[in-house]
Amino acid sequence: MAAPAKLEAVGVGAKAPDELVTTPPPGLPGKKNYLTALKEALFEEMERNPDMVCQGEDIGRLGGAFGVTEGLQAKYGENRVIDAPISEAAIIGTSVGMALNGKTVMAEMQFMDFISCGFDQIVNMMATYSYRTAGEVNIPVVVRGPAGGYGGGALYHSQMNEAWFCNSPGLRVICPSTPYDAKGLLKAALRDGNPTIFFEIKELYRKTEIAEELPEEDYIVPLGKAAIRREGTDITLVSYGQNVAHCVQAAAELEKQGISAEVIDIRTLVPLDEETIFASLAKTNRLIVVNEAPMTCGFAGEIVSRVTTKAFHLLDAPPIRITRLDTPVPWVKPLELFVLPSVEKIVQAALKTVRY
Amino acid sequence: MPASPPAGAATAEASAANPIPQTPSRPRDLLTKDDCLEIFRQIYLARYFDVRLIKEKKRGRLRGTLYSSHNQEAILVGSLFGLRPTDWISPIHRDMPAFFLKDIGAGWHNADRVGMSIEEVCAQVWGKVDSPGRARDNWSHIGSRAKRIIHSTSMLAGTIPVAAGVVYADRLNGGDAVAVTYNGEGSTAQGVFHEAINYAAVHKLPVVTIIENNQWAYGTPTRLSYSQEDFARRADGYGIPGLVADGQDVFDVYDKVMEAVEWARSGKGPSIVECKTFRAYGHGDHDDDRANKYRTPDEVEAGRQRDPIAVCRRTLIDLGYLSGPDAEQYLAEGKNAADATNDDFPPDVVSYLNEGIDFALKSPLPSPEEGGMWVFKEGN
Repeated sequence: MAAPAKLEAVGVGAKAPDELVTTPPPGLPGKKNYLTALKEALFEEMERNPDMVCQGEDIGRLGGAFGVTEGLQAKYGENRVIDAPISEAAIIGTSVGMALNGKTVMAEMQFMDFISCGFDQIVNMMATYSYRTAGEVNIPVVVRGPAGGYGGGALYHSQMNEAWFCNSPGLRVICPSTPYDAKGLLKAALRDGNPTIFFEIKELYRKTEIAEELPEEDYIVPLGKAAIRREGTDITLVSYGQNVAHCVQAAAELEKQGISAEVIDIRTLVPLDEETIFASLAKTNRLIVVNEAPMTCGFAGEIVSRVTTKAFHLLDAPPIRITRLDTPVPWVKPLELFVLPSVEKIVQAALKTVRY
Repeated sequence: MPASPPAGAATAEASAANPIPQTPSRPRDLLTKDDCLEIFRQIYLARYFDVRLIKEKKRGRLRGTLYSSHNQEAILVGSLFGLRPTDWISPIHRDMPAFFLKDIGAGWHNADRVGMSIEEVCAQVWGKVDSPGRARDNWSHIGSRAKRIIHSTSMLAGTIPVAAGVVYADRLNGGDAVAVTYNGEGSTAQGVFHEAINYAAVHKLPVVTIIENNQWAYGTPTRLSYSQEDFARRADGYGIPGLVADGQDVFDVYDKVMEAVEWARSGKGPSIVECKTFRAYGHGDHDDDRANKYRTPDEVEAGRQRDPIAVCRRTLIDLGYLSGPDAEQYLAEGKNAADATNDDFPPDVVSYLNEGIDFALKSPLPSPEEGGMWVFKEGN
């Protein structure tokens, strides 16, 4: 990470720490990483809501492949923290059934790449439940798990497949980039009452650079409110997940060249906070959207489309998407970095846009 | 492997892949004469519902596809009759009568029973706003949390995991509800069928999976869906009971399902009950003509020779519950919808459905804006 970046949360009840912590001393009391924040959210919601159940592959005895649920089964028992068979469709389907009968369910995907094995139960069973029952039945199920590239995970441990779910009406889609948001958004999702797909960035799980102090008191980050990570006047960089950090770094590079970039972290894709994006464009008139999913029919395209249809008059240059190439995510580092967005790609695009 | 009966010629002695130890008395032995006559009346009701809807469709009064339950009514009546109001069911497309047959023992006109009224079901068939789902999805894709009926989708076997989750939650709450899921034999080839039953077996969940083996999965015969004769043998791989029932005999279905239900309710876990039957018509009414090409007339005649109305009538006569002129009236058995008339059914069955249809015809269509509502909990 480059220079400390200004954090400014937008929305009722959302208060982010003032600055990103660049290099916290390891083990400093009070600083919590992204994974710890998620774990705290689960423990606190399990405590708060006796009708909450968690299930997933290896989440009980093992505590999850990454340890997000460590200690949860020991505290809340095997009936509320279920070690499920390797059966994503059954995990989602039974979660829907539990929700139909009054439970709130966290269903972990060991990797979000595996969510495709439960796809029908998500898009046809879970996402449509409220609609086809005319609101009689809501399904408070949060499907969460690790996602994203840059870690050498290769084709099946690196995906960001959020666009599939944004294209399935009835689902909340969330992707936090900080520990504060990870905890606050997960708690908000578990209380929201709608089915949610919650993308965690596994490269951020234990990243010490973003560890931060979290409030002692209960808090949520409301869905549908973007955060401005850095203020600027010349160009707007919109992103989510780990590409937010790339945008912040790019903004620091651009500042050296006299270009003031604003960085917006949308945090929730569905619902999307369009107003914060439009307000920024009213200042900057230039837009770059960055995400690590493939370009075609990806969420970056959705943001560009909304801007061009609803706020065309605010633009002085064509919007640019910086995304993964339309390829799978390859394994070895040079290949992986070639296809994924980078700070350099963002800087180059920003220079081009500003000079348009 | 036990000997298996030929397809379409199921008998009460059909092999059980993995039987539940028999008790000295059969569940049916506890049924009273009134119970048995009520069961007979419910089979008529299910048949009349089917016959009447086919007639209404031919008159151009219905939109959408009809998935006839003709010749398969004994499975629905026999499996639902012994359930408690607190039990859950998940019917599929060919099980439309299940929606009003659930808990109908509490009174056909009892608005508080834990099943749908005939008015609600007819409003759904006619696509009216008084449908339990406000006519947002078609045909059998309705349900009700309050009535403990799981809402199906077109993705067959997809409700089995939902049923498993429902009873998992019920057990957490200290309940003893059982979930009965309905499936065609074709859907047992779905991956989710395996995942869900495996999950239920691991957690010993009270889920009874009924396989309505009507010999045809749309245009695919059973031998191309499964490599063994009895679909109940699917149970072997999960270490759970797999029973075979004669799907034409309502009392055999009742026996086998009640055994499975009590097994489940006593905490022993899930089971599979295969009910052997035969699909009378095409997959849906759109398929009736083509079904006559992929199935031979001889096969259809053989598959339909044991009409569940006739089989039930025979049993009641043998028991002495029907005799004289009473045994000879309302001869609906063997008649296609085109040949059957109201005189072939008990008058109270006809009037009951008429009330539902009258209600549906008067119910309005939903307002167009509802098409944009309830995507999320908040309403839009």
